Amino acid sequence: MASLPLLRLFSLAIRQLLRDARAGELRVLFFALLVAVAASTAIGYFGARLNGAMMLRATEFLGADLVLEGSSPARTEQVRSGTELGLEHAQVVEFSSVIATDNGIQLSSIKAADDVYPLRGELKSAPAPFAPEEPGGGPKPGEAWVEARLLTALDLKIGDSIDVGMKTLKLARVLTYEPDRAGNFYSLTPRVLINLSDIEATGVVQPGSRVSYRELWRGNASALETYRQLIKPGLAANQQIQDARDGNRQIGGALGKAERYLNMASLVAVLLSGVAVALSATRFATRRFDASALLRCLGLSRRETMVLFSLQLTVLGLLASVSGALLGWLAQLGLFALLHDLLPTDVPPGGLLPAIAGIGTGLVALAGFALPPLAALGRVPPLRVLRRDMLPIPSSTWIVYGAALGALGLIMWRLSLDLLLTFALLGGGVIAALVLGGLLLLLLKSLRRMLARAALPWRLGLGQLLRHPLAAAGQALAFGLILLSMALIALLRGELLDTWQNQLPKNAPNYFALNILPADKQAFTDRLMELSAQSAPLYPVVPGRLISINGQPVQDIVSKDSAGDRAIQRDLSLTWAADLPEGNKLTAGNWWDQQPADEIPGVSVEGKVAESLKLKLGDHMVFTVGGANREAKVTSLREINWDNFQPNFFMIFQPGTLKDLPATYLTSFYLAAGHDQQIVDLSRSFPAVTILQVEALLAQLRSILGQVTLAVEYVLLFVLAAGMAVLFSGLQATLDERIRQGALLRALGAERQLLVRARRIEFGLLGAVSGLLAALGSELVSMVLYRYAFDLPWHPHPWLLVLPLIGAVLIGGAGVFGTRRALNASPLTVLREG
Amino acid sequence: MGASILTAKNLSKVVPSAEGELTILHELSLELNKGDSLAIVGASGSGKSTLLGLLAGLDLPSSGEVTLAGQGLSNLDEDQRARIRAEHVGFVFQSFQLLDSLNALENVMLPLELDGRKDARERATELLQRVGLGQRLTHSPRQLSGGEQQRVAIARAFAAEPDVLFADEPTGNLDSHTGERISDLLFELNQESGTTLVLVTHDERLAHRCRRLIRLEAGLLVAPLEP
Repeated sequence: MASLPLLRLFSLAIRQLLRDARAGELRVLFFALLVAVAASTAIGYFGARLNGAMMLRATEFLGADLVLEGSSPARTEQVRSGTELGLEHAQVVEFSSVIATDNGIQLSSIKAADDVYPLRGELKSAPAPFAPEEPGGGPKPGEAWVEARLLTALDLKIGDSIDVGMKTLKLARVLTYEPDRAGNFYSLTPRVLINLSDIEATGVVQPGSRVSYRELWRGNASALETYRQLIKPGLAANQQIQDARDGNRQIGGALGKAERYLNMASLVAVLLSGVAVALSATRFATRRFDASALLRCLGLSRRETMVLFSLQLTVLGLLASVSGALLGWLAQLGLFALLHDLLPTDVPPGGLLPAIAGIGTGLVALAGFALPPLAALGRVPPLRVLRRDMLPIPSSTWIVYGAALGALGLIMWRLSLDLLLTFALLGGGVIAALVLGGLLLLLLKSLRRMLARAALPWRLGLGQLLRHPLAAAGQALAFGLILLSMALIALLRGELLDTWQNQLPKNAPNYFALNILPADKQAFTDRLMELSAQSAPLYPVVPGRLISINGQPVQDIVSKDSAGDRAIQRDLSLTWAADLPEGNKLTAGNWWDQQPADEIPGVSVEGKVAESLKLKLGDHMVFTVGGANREAKVTSLREINWDNFQPNFFMIFQPGTLKDLPATYLTSFYLAAGHDQQIVDLSRSFPAVTILQVEALLAQLRSILGQVTLAVEYVLLFVLAAGMAVLFSGLQATLDERIRQGALLRALGAERQLLVRARRIEFGLLGAVSGLLAALGSELVSMVLYRYAFDLPWHPHPWLLVLPLIGAVLIGGAGVFGTRRALNASPLTVLREG
Repeated sequence: MGASILTAKNLSKVVPSAEGELTILHELSLELNKGDSLAIVGASGSGKSTLLGLLAGLDLPSSGEVTLAGQGLSNLDEDQRARIRAEHVGFVFQSFQLLDSLNALENVMLPLELDGRKDARERATELLQRVGLGQRLTHSPRQLSGGEQQRVAIARAFAAEPDVLFADEPTGNLDSHTGERISDLLFELNQESGTTLVLVTHDERLAHRCRRLIRLEAGLLVAPLEP
């Protein structure tokens, strides 16, 4: 027989597929693929869109989606390429300048912004100090909006004029809120906001003066990403790109964490879907042994047989994947519609990537798990038609399965962009499966001996498990994986999110008070006590700049864009303290005792900054403080919990070191909502003090946490769906056999109750064993995750021991339900078989 | 002539089909006494297996009545009919129908256990020895040849000492030599235990070993042959 052209094979494949469509295993494979692709697509969309929504909110703290910042103006082509991409653009220039009036002088932080600023969030301002604030607007040319403390410091009122450089501006409103201020609580100088068109007239901005130019951009994610890639290579040494993550340390950290949590939940669902596909794909292939032998007998070559079945799988895979992706997309649409009250209104669409990733998941899992048995199909000897017991010779199946797992890992990695998490889940899963599977096999084999004299329902139920210990072990592992996934998600939803929530205490300070003068220190503390506000200690603050480390200028040491770079770009808030502040943890060196200071005083440095400044214990630093140089020696490194909203400092000096310098004090405190009047009164009594409300930021963090929690809960639903797909794929595989058995037993006179009991024993036991595996596996995986992915101390979870019980009930129930056709099969079936 | 053990009165079976109602069996009556043997012959699709299913209480007729061991089957539910089968009926199938998850001995023990008998193991061992499989007690069905599997099935059928034994093409899946030996065994055991035998077959030689023979054509009894 001449070899068949591909087209003929293709049409043969399609015809066979249509004919087989009635067969159970084809439908189950289709269903498993559909669920797998739908789950990973929906979760992908849900995660991406939610993440987008969270990012969008976070961008408010940047005033834009993306900022190009530099100490010189952005080059024309850098701006032009952004506008050509259709991005919205705003410009801001910031610099320090002294505001002088007859009443005195005040160093101020001037911000000149154009009319479209800010691109995200809104300015808030009031017509007079302590008057109610209103959102929107901005200073017109010739106007200045200023912080209330400038009015106090220079004894000005709204309507007066000030000079910024050579330009006279009219004080129009009191500035109460700048969206992009949040990252910079401790700026010590009051803000003056002016219109960008006035900047030239001020004459302050000259070549060489210390100015920050900010190009603000807003637009859709892909355009922003294109823009980022476009300008990245051409960035000058003094330029850097910022996005929501960089805008604010707390928000950035929270977003990172949120992404990690969501990722983990999604990966679990993808892993589970992969297993469902694997189970049914294997069955699809093994069921084709006979057909394959027959085709070979009829003259098809080995290669043609392989191509034929591969084509079938491809067509099936594409059909199921595309419908799955569509289903997943619809599911997340529905989900967002259901949740519209809880979610921000401007949830961005997720793009195509989640759908493609979803389809990829399905196809890779299909190929990975159907190909090894399919490869075996090619080796089915034609003689099998005559002798059914001739099975194909096993080959290097392990290698192929390994490749399949690798592919699945690749997908998980692509979805999460988190290699560590992928390894932890996949590697942990595989090792756990191998070890536990081996143990299980031993257990089943020893059970077999004990069973010879058990009662009939036990022998019927267990006989089913024990006849193929390998298959039973595989099934227990698959079911175990479902329970393990659910346990992990429960762990995530419960413990991990709680831990996070606890790091964000309910009474986290919602106000910062800056610029408290030494003379007011006691009075201010007393007033806070009266208000029964929970206050952090008052920290002295002296502005200073780091000049050199071990005799080398710092500019030569730090790399661009690092935390260290940002730290030396501006004045640092230097403080001193006798005790280690709350939320700080020493990572190296020792905290000083109360002993008198050495000749060179000690300083404790925050770890991240120390790292980028390449500081070690014992290094010698020089700061310029109040016009004079001060030396210090690194005596300890600290880790700071930035989430706690306490005043935190990069540099803490040994007490007594900076005492001779003029210091102001800084603190944070919590005051329950509804005390607005008290805050106004407090501001009036201490006009020099700047009181900043950080409620918005806190609310933002809580909302991120809330959304992640919600998302994880919904992902759990998909995990359940994928779990059900696994369960029913597993059950379907044994259904024909069970129907035959059920009918035979009934023909022989068994009552329905006996069959039900045998099934309950079989699936209950299978479920209990799966639960045990899941409990052990969850502990193993959680140990890895806590240690490496979430950086949390691990402790055992005794509640996981209810898993065997849950497994017995769940798998037992689903097993009896899933095989009910076998219970209700008419005993007449046995006659029809012959 | 003994008391009647199995009677069928005006049995009809009608099933819905694409072309309207399809009559598989039409107004069929017969009566069998204890120790009788009856062969049901006919072409494929003539309704043989349907009749066997109705007589054994595996299925219910559209009209008419089957009485097995003095009990009318029509008014019983599936579980009650199962109990009657456990007590009074044995089966031998064309495709042997052994449970793969049980070994030879356990397969034979099955009907005894369903009947709640304490001596299941001893009785099953005895029977397997009787059919010549004393050395194969713990073999699983997959380890046995077709003829051996049918012997296990026959041992299982006679295990609970049924009043009526239904055999559906018992030699249909076997070569003629093995088939011959299986039918010998079937009739020997039938004689020994005085069981009533109802046999569906294509095999005229096997059919003629029965005392009575009926021929079905399109659901109608065309040739009630009495010996």
